[in-house]
Amino acid sequence: MSQMLSPDMTIAAEAAAKAKIEVKNLNFYYGQSKALKDITLSLPERSVTAFIGPSGCGKSTLLRVFNRIYELYPKQTAEGQVLLDGKNVLDRSQDLNLLRTKIGMVFQKPTPFPMSIYENIAFGVRLYEKISKSEMDGRVEQALKRAALWNEVKDKLNASGLSLSGGQQQRLCIARTVAVKPEVILLDEPASALDPLSTAKIEELIDELQADYTIVIVTHNMQQAARVSKQTAFMYLGELVEFDRTEKIFTSPREKRTQDYITGRFG
Amino acid sequence: MMTLCVIAAGIGLAWLALILGALLYKGSAGLSLDVFTQMTPPPGDAGGLLNAIYGSVVMTVIAVIVGTPIGVLAGTYMAEYGRFSKLTTVVRFINDILLSAPSIIIGLFVYELMVRPMGHFSALAGAVALAILVIPVVVRTTEDMLNLVPNALREAGTAIGAPRWVVIKSVAYRAALSGIVTGILLSIARISGETAPLLFTALNNQFWSSNLNAPMASLPVTIFQFALSPYEEWQQLAWTGALIITLTVLALSIVARSLTGRREDK
Repeated sequence: MSQMLSPDMTIAAEAAAKAKIEVKNLNFYYGQSKALKDITLSLPERSVTAFIGPSGCGKSTLLRVFNRIYELYPKQTAEGQVLLDGKNVLDRSQDLNLLRTKIGMVFQKPTPFPMSIYENIAFGVRLYEKISKSEMDGRVEQALKRAALWNEVKDKLNASGLSLSGGQQQRLCIARTVAVKPEVILLDEPASALDPLSTAKIEELIDELQADYTIVIVTHNMQQAARVSKQTAFMYLGELVEFDRTEKIFTSPREKRTQDYITGRFG
Repeated sequence: MMTLCVIAAGIGLAWLALILGALLYKGSAGLSLDVFTQMTPPPGDAGGLLNAIYGSVVMTVIAVIVGTPIGVLAGTYMAEYGRFSKLTTVVRFINDILLSAPSIIIGLFVYELMVRPMGHFSALAGAVALAILVIPVVVRTTEDMLNLVPNALREAGTAIGAPRWVVIKSVAYRAALSGIVTGILLSIARISGETAPLLFTALNNQFWSSNLNAPMASLPVTIFQFALSPYEEWQQLAWTGALIITLTVLALSIVARSLTGRREDK
């Protein structure tokens, strides 16, 4: 069906699809230095969007604004609007902990908590839900299955999360994020510390998860962006250079800088 | 150069070996069940160290119960809530001074603060003096150990929607637990040999006393008194007491070491 439409019409159709996150005129500062310059873009629901660009271009910074995790550190400020379902998450009145249950995040290095595999997942669920032991067992199993980890760990749920391999740890982190039933999942270079096999598994997982979640992935790896995402944003020096369907970015980018980057002329 | 270093290390170790050897030799001679069951004797009589051991244990326990929560919470403020604040720098500086303050000054301070207003020496004052010695050690190790917890772990806890205090309690403390416990054990090792602060506060007691509001015996003060005395039985008890303290500190250090070692294995 979509093949019959002209590219421009497809974009229009996608724009009409409900936007989950809308960023409007976002500026971000580390102290005095400006790290994001007037970013405006809109991420469609239940779809994978990739942020690419050279180191220091602001792609991770942009991701970290979505769940306001940057506020753990002083002297980092964001100006503008980030609308989640039309509600500005940068609003002072926004309950941060509640926001973060809706917007999950997985980091570059696997970060299992220093507790058992079971507890790693139950920890987040227990924060906001009071459920029985059997319900919790179900939730843990469901989350581990979702992250394609269940078969590998079902016999050692009480083992430390730190005892798993790097790739398994990262899938545990995804399971932990999925378990609290978020709407959006932010992935900050989730596979860059992993071997190729683990990376393939994570990418497969992302592909499956997009049926239920809006996913944003920051990646250094352009092939990865091309493989997993529907939309790609190319950022450079804190600016959003180009944002379009992934095929378009990788086959016929509008901007010369995008062209140069994807063909490996810099970055 | 290397020869000089080896000689220097040898000299240092030789003294240590001599001290430990003498202690073990002279101390173990008086080691018997009586030491742990009898009171400190009057001059010329046989006896034990029961009241002194009891006093040391009581005052150390109170000092740790009082000092540890304050130390851990202050260290938590410095490493977590106040990580980027000026106050933390000031507190760290003052804490480092306190850490190396001569313990006799702490003793005098508590003497002015408690003993004089109360009009008499007391075990409670002794415990407070020891608690003041516990606090800087625990503050320092707690802060250091929490600073070693990677920020990524805090971010992960925060990203899942956990409030700050839950992240600290369930993630940061858990990751730093063995280090914090090590700090507490080291602080116990430090205060178990302190004499000067107790001389000004708990003083000593020849008899059994469990009254916290009265002077209480302790091992270091008893050793101090007995070792200076001309009576042979007392001198023997002083050696034995010194051996008991040394072995206790050694045991605590070993436990502390094995705890840190286990963390590094992970």
